[in-house]
Amino acid sequence: MEPAIVLNGVCKQFGDNVAVSDLSLEVPRGELFAFLGPNGAGKTTTIKMIAGLLRPNRGEVYVCGHRIGADGLAAKAKLAYVPDLPFIYEKLTGREFLHFVAEMYGLSKKRRDELLERLVNRLDIGEYLDELTDGYSHGMKQRVVLAAALLHEPAVLVIDEPMVGLDPRTVRAVKDLFVEHTRNGGSVFMSTHTLEVAEAVADRIGIIHRSELLALGTLEELRRQAKQQHSLEEIFLQLTEEGDG
Amino acid sequence: MDSAAALPVDRPLLALLIRVKMRSLWNRVVKAAAEAPIRVSLGAFLVALIWLGLFGLFLMVFSQIQESTPLEATVAIPLIYSLFFATMMIMLAFSNAIIVHGMLFSRQEAEYLLSAPIRPRDLVAVKFFESLLLASWSLILLGLPLMMAMAQRTEDNWFYVLFLAFFACFIPIPASLGLLFAWLTARFFPRNALRAAAFALGGALVVAVIWCMRAIRMREMATDVWLRSFLQRVSFVESALLPNNWIARGIDHALNHQLTDALMYLAVTAANALFLSWVVVWLVSHHFGPAYDRASTGGRGGRRDPVDASGGICGRVFFYLPLPLRLIAAKDLRTFFRDPVQYSQLLILFSLIILYLTNMPTLQRELGHSTYALVIPLLNLCATCLILATFTCRFIFPLVSLEGRQLWFIGLLPLSRGRILRAKFAFAMTVALLVTCAAIAYGAMMLDMPMVWTGIHLVTTVAICFGLCGLAVGVGARMPMFDQPNAARIANGLGGTVNLIASLTLTTCVITAVGIATWHSRNLHPEQVPAIGDLILCGSAAGISVCCGLLALQMGEAHFNKVEV
Repeated sequence: MEPAIVLNGVCKQFGDNVAVSDLSLEVPRGELFAFLGPNGAGKTTTIKMIAGLLRPNRGEVYVCGHRIGADGLAAKAKLAYVPDLPFIYEKLTGREFLHFVAEMYGLSKKRRDELLERLVNRLDIGEYLDELTDGYSHGMKQRVVLAAALLHEPAVLVIDEPMVGLDPRTVRAVKDLFVEHTRNGGSVFMSTHTLEVAEAVADRIGIIHRSELLALGTLEELRRQAKQQHSLEEIFLQLTEEGDG
Repeated sequence: MDSAAALPVDRPLLALLIRVKMRSLWNRVVKAAAEAPIRVSLGAFLVALIWLGLFGLFLMVFSQIQESTPLEATVAIPLIYSLFFATMMIMLAFSNAIIVHGMLFSRQEAEYLLSAPIRPRDLVAVKFFESLLLASWSLILLGLPLMMAMAQRTEDNWFYVLFLAFFACFIPIPASLGLLFAWLTARFFPRNALRAAAFALGGALVVAVIWCMRAIRMREMATDVWLRSFLQRVSFVESALLPNNWIARGIDHALNHQLTDALMYLAVTAANALFLSWVVVWLVSHHFGPAYDRASTGGRGGRRDPVDASGGICGRVFFYLPLPLRLIAAKDLRTFFRDPVQYSQLLILFSLIILYLTNMPTLQRELGHSTYALVIPLLNLCATCLILATFTCRFIFPLVSLEGRQLWFIGLLPLSRGRILRAKFAFAMTVALLVTCAAIAYGAMMLDMPMVWTGIHLVTTVAICFGLCGLAVGVGARMPMFDQPNAARIANGLGGTVNLIASLTLTTCVITAVGIATWHSRNLHPEQVPAIGDLILCGSAAGISVCCGLLALQMGEAHFNKVEV
């Protein structure tokens, strides 16, 4: 079975500014991958290239064996993308939005209702699902968007800063959902600044700094690379400072 | 976990996207009707008012041409249709370009849909339809009264059906051109795309103004000679290859009961519109990825040379203000001129006014010193003040609300909140006075207006500026929407509606007072000073306007002082 995500020598430039430089990375099926880095390091650009929104200047991106660009629709059918500022149609109710997503991905009504019921309970969104989304708070929107992303059981979930604006109970529910998703064979590619979350749930961690991948591996492997046995926060700070030097 | 793998890829999802849009629209209408019935009713009332006004205007124009110059009318009326649709085609192409550029290259929705398994063709097509409908409402607003006015010349009921069919077939043509322009802008000019569009529009307007000025140089000619000369100058719009000519000729045939010929032109318009739409949607969707990529990655704000906060042109405009207020006013002016969406609308509104004023002398000369000699300047004053009211409602009213997210910062400034409001007011007054007084003075010059009436109109303009700016800032501070970052939505809210009603009422009252004075002076020589009673009436109206502005500012300040940071 092909890996969930393959980035092969990917480069992306914005004019003279190099956003991502020669990035090669492979995320196997069933892995929760956390992508860390300081602001402006190239995390969101990488994620947008995986989601097919930006085109690499050089290199290739594959999702479940389908090359983004050449076979983009097949790749996108297996992928769900949640940006850092989640989008939701403001003049639809949460339920109408989720039905739209289900139909977009070709779910039968029966399957849609089964999956929806499970997600509504897990994310605790039933109370306001029939209200127009323009009245939702950021956290409420984030939960509905997460439900929409998971509704069609994507093989790959790509998510940018998933925990921003969520209360601790929902953070816990989302972490559990991600872990469950990977246990069922799906993959999660998550960019985050919340290092505790990465430390708690990620199978592997990648650290990008100044457009280059500084470190890649499990938490233990990163500790060995940083030659210290401390928290991910300290490893992150040490590696990025070395990168600056 | 591979359920998605079983999905058929490349499914057409256009119908689903259209259904979602229709559902959103329905929910929006239901919500607006339930939550803001006054606003919806007022909107409908104003549209009806504009519609009726246009109907009367078109009816008057057609009758005037038919009665005064029946021979020339045979040539002139089809040419008027052709010119009307040529103008509409250019305006619709630009408005479609701006709308569809925002929809395809700037909004989160496009990003979301692009990350889903939706074919670019479906995305581009749905945005094409959406912008076509959003941009073309103005044609419907202008077109329906035009149709009704023209229908007075025919008794055939099928004319209405045919006219609507012509409209429906015509609008995809400018919409396709707009989509193509938006795509070209994103593909090849990713930096400051909207600024490029605004400059293009500004350039087009300048060309139009120059062209019109050349046309009116024939001012010494007699009416019939002038008309013939003018018709010759504008005859290029009747080229057989231009869509505006197909629809104009089709309508003319319909009016003359030549159904077969009318249907032939309808078929030509429909066939070309369909073909052009198909070609443009195909082209844009096939090359959408690179355009989106460039638009997403090239749109950085651009570096600017550092200037003192109170320096540069923006700072110097407010030289008369004390430094802290100058800083705030200069900040607002910089923000305004760095947002092409804002300044391009102001540019368009006042370019149209200048274009209109430039064309006035011919009409004024025909009227000479007749009863109507002062009516034209009064209409100019009315148009300028109504545009100013639109400007203050749309751009000045949201200023206080837009500070909502920075309210904590403003609260910490060593300035009273009243002074902050006064800075906003100074900003609004400076921009409004510069533009409106220039327009009124230019109009007076073009019309050779007598000094006394020029003075009355300028004083009225200053008073209306004061009243409208005071209302916009005052009501904006009294009924703010601090949690709304979108200026358009702030202007459409309850406070915006109150401000709109108050502004229109104030403008109508003041202009009516000047109108009464004008009517009383109709038999005087224009150079003669109006009766003292009429001068007092105009002065009182101006005073009321200033008082309204002051009162609104005071009420706004009282409330703004109590807002908790």
